[in-house]
Amino acid sequence: MATPKPEKELHLPLSRVKTIMKSSPEVDAVGAESLYLVTKVTELFILDLAKRAFKNSKNNLLEYKHIAEVVQEDDSLDFLREIIPRKITVKQFKELMARKAKANSDDSSEESSSEESSEESDESNQE
Amino acid sequence: MAEKLEDLNLPLTVVGRIVKEALPDGVAISKEARTGLAKAASVFVLYVTSAATNTVKHHKRKALTGQDVLEAMADIEFERFVEPLREALEQYKLAASAKKSAGKKKDDEDVEIVEEDN
Repeated sequence: MATPKPEKELHLPLSRVKTIMKSSPEVDAVGAESLYLVTKVTELFILDLAKRAFKNSKNNLLEYKHIAEVVQEDDSLDFLREIIPRKITVKQFKELMARKAKANSDDSSEESSSEESSEESDESNQE
Repeated sequence: MAEKLEDLNLPLTVVGRIVKEALPDGVAISKEARTGLAKAASVFVLYVTSAATNTVKHHKRKALTGQDVLEAMADIEFERFVEPLREALEQYKLAASAKKSAGKKKDDEDVEIVEEDN
């Protein structure tokens, strides 16, 4: 065959992308052509996001916060805002909560509504 | 079907390779950045899928075609991917019809359903 199969030029595994697509309750059948395109566009998306995130990096290291910055600033990436949140330290978090509590007790009743702060659990990403 | 939760993630090594391609030589990627990008990509797959499903419904069809994916990109404000994607679709169709005329198998129709789940 003269030209290589387009599928061969993809990096991401089609089977995995298909599994993800089918995890949507609205989808029952995934055709080969749409599977190919979704995989392709996901690769484009990764390239694009990585390149833009890297512009926020001042040295030769791409870090999580660079990605989070792009996500929070680009409205078309709104769907990722809860997936890739800006990270704050526990100290910042406590200050934020303290400020909130203060604001609450200031404008309304005196009852200190101590919202249980769910500690940010650092996700253990298993390889 | 997804048996394990990990099945809904994209492989980190592959994502890492794609990112490396995007960035200049010698750039390092933190582990967290790579995990984040992989997660973002998984969610992106679902996002595109659901947008494309809407297009299909709109046309009152059942099967999801490449054209639906293309149309969906504009709906979710990713116009910048439409052109490269259109080219990819052309190439794909070309390769598919070449394969068909070679007459080996009767596959690669738009509505073909690949059913080899691992």
